[in-house]
Amino acid sequence: MSFDLITHSPTMVLGIPLLFAFLTPLADKVSKELRDAVFMMGLLLTVFFVFVMSYEVYTSGAWTYVFGGTESRPTSLTSYFRIMFAADGFSALATITVAITALGAGIYSFAFMDGHSGMEKYYALFLLTFAGVNGMILTADLFNLFVWFEVTSIASCGLIAFQNYRGKSVEAALKYMLISVIGGLFLLVSIGLLYGEYGVLNFYYLAAVMTGGLVDKIALAIIFVVFAMKASSVPMHMWAPDVYSESPGSVTPFIAITSMGSLFVLFRILFGMFRFSMGAVELGTLLIILGLLSMFIGVSMALKQSDVKRLIGYLSVSQIGYMLLAVGVGLTTLENGDYGTFGAMALEGGFFHMINDGVYKALLFLSAAAVVYATGTKDLNRLGGLAHRMPYTTVFFLIGGLSIAGVPPLSGFSSKLLIYKSIYLYHPILAIIALVVSIITFALIGKIFYNAFLGPDLGLTRGEVPTSMLAAMMILTVIVVVFSLFPNYVVAEIVVPAIEGLGVIP
Amino acid sequence: MIDIVLKDMWSPIALIAVVLLMGLITYMIYNLGNPTYKRTKHKGEPFISGNKPPSDLSTIHVGGDNVFWGFTHALRKYIDPLVKGHTGIVNDYVYWFVITLALVLIYFYIMI
Amino acid sequence: MNFTILPFVMVVLLITMGLYTVLFKRNLIKMIMGVAIIQNGVNLFLVSLAYRDGYAAPIWTSAPSSDMVLPTPHALTLTSIVIGVATTALMLSFVIMLKRHYGTVDSNETRRCRE
Repeated sequence: MSFDLITHSPTMVLGIPLLFAFLTPLADKVSKELRDAVFMMGLLLTVFFVFVMSYEVYTSGAWTYVFGGTESRPTSLTSYFRIMFAADGFSALATITVAITALGAGIYSFAFMDGHSGMEKYYALFLLTFAGVNGMILTADLFNLFVWFEVTSIASCGLIAFQNYRGKSVEAALKYMLISVIGGLFLLVSIGLLYGEYGVLNFYYLAAVMTGGLVDKIALAIIFVVFAMKASSVPMHMWAPDVYSESPGSVTPFIAITSMGSLFVLFRILFGMFRFSMGAVELGTLLIILGLLSMFIGVSMALKQSDVKRLIGYLSVSQIGYMLLAVGVGLTTLENGDYGTFGAMALEGGFFHMINDGVYKALLFLSAAAVVYATGTKDLNRLGGLAHRMPYTTVFFLIGGLSIAGVPPLSGFSSKLLIYKSIYLYHPILAIIALVVSIITFALIGKIFYNAFLGPDLGLTRGEVPTSMLAAMMILTVIVVVFSLFPNYVVAEIVVPAIEGLGVIP
Repeated sequence: MIDIVLKDMWSPIALIAVVLLMGLITYMIYNLGNPTYKRTKHKGEPFISGNKPPSDLSTIHVGGDNVFWGFTHALRKYIDPLVKGHTGIVNDYVYWFVITLALVLIYFYIMI
Repeated sequence: MNFTILPFVMVVLLITMGLYTVLFKRNLIKMIMGVAIIQNGVNLFLVSLAYRDGYAAPIWTSAPSSDMVLPTPHALTLTSIVIGVATTALMLSFVIMLKRHYGTVDSNETRRCRE
């Protein structure tokens, strides 16, 4: 069999970051420049293969990659006992979201982490986290899901505690680690339950044979709660603000995207495995309840914060609520006539919001980190007047902030409009709550903007952050603007294939 | 195939075009004004609600805790318990995880 | 099916003990010990799932005449043990660093990230 780069691209999306993660410490033995170059090469190659895979999915359809077989696509029952990767529209959407953020955070890291010792380990952990999230998204069997889940947890906790001279970083990392490990162990219990009942671990096979008995319910409940916890849904969100505020600024968006990756996995499992046997309405209602709690409590907690990164962390929790709400509405309508009227719209809104949110949240976190880098403080009581000295960062923050608040014509508005309209048709009260949350989000963005950037020049900083950091934020800003200007194109080309990839066309 | 519903509702290009058009009209109206008017360079003291401005201008910047103080103070009965609930004790984080797991198990047992 | 219920009773016991430790002990080292107990419970669960009475171990070199068990749970357990060692070591190293910074391993006092 010839080595076909396009067919093998799902493995490359994992293999390249894994390989380069262990090449960077070796390159560091030679020189620092080589180390940086190797890291950048690994990052760019991974992003390249993500786009190769997505292009193939969009042009010639989804495929299932089977490891260790002589054929790369499943042909018989024995294929389902091998390791499988699903390269479909949904994986493409998720990996593109992760890749954009990883690119931004990676470029940002060079200047931001300059002066730290042990940077080869930082780069290695960064690429390992990247590989872990991609593996979690692409895999189509439960055992691999557990392995990549733990790879992501361990590597991202190493990144969070990288500045181990700060006690609070270590504290946040320990908390996140402890709760992720317990989550991972529960996940293993539910994998054991499903294996004990059906004897396979493959998603497709399980979806076909699952009956929805008591064991399935327990397994589903555990998987649901574990991934909702990793996605920082209220009431299991408490690790999120701690980690987002105390991790190094350049990895904060990356940790946020690992949590979004867990949300992608949750949706894949709900839509791909359990909805056939479990009743889509009940699952959707549960998602809606969690979504409402996340939206409202996230934004209420944000009102009291005076730490800029912690405030954005709470806003991120409330944005996760929008996705849970929209996808929950889509899930409830799956088996009745409402799917045609507003269910599809809710799913489009939810998934479009995920990719939008990944990008503009990364932009917000990176510009907040630029403020911290330039001034040395996260405290909004002490910040002020940065627009005088940091005009570019101000503009980047404003674009990200207006987008998260859903101000037209920015990208956050396009996806929120879809969400509002569809959930209004589901139940008007939900749309009113979503609007109120959006207004408070706007007020909070105004608070950060006023406190940190406006006002008289307090002389907190000498000037703008280094060019490579600005370049990273520029890339994300350009993507936000592109998503803002061509929402119809993005929905048609990226989001609709993702919904088809989940197999929800009734 | 899902039809793209966003197309019927919302077009950012149209919005930007309208904003540009409005800007153009505003600029034309602005040009109708008196062309002989000269802008004066008046350097007065800032007007802060009629109070006398302090000598050090940096002290007039409102800090983070004071923005929306009235709003959070009015809602303190709702927000303060929430804020206190985020104890920061790692046992509580696990506790919430276990409680949610138990609730979801009960929900599934009853509903599905 | 003729497999004993006893391992599963032990599994429930171990996981309950571990959860109790994690929830109610305020010493971080003890909490990590609780996590390790849960880990062992889960590993025991997987191994007991794989046991089939009268089936041979899946070792191809001494090919037996009877049927063999599918070794997937054993692979799962081995992976889980390796991951468990890594996570426990990482958490303990975090506790060491926390002790250096805060001077305590009491979870009531290691809570500067809050509110």
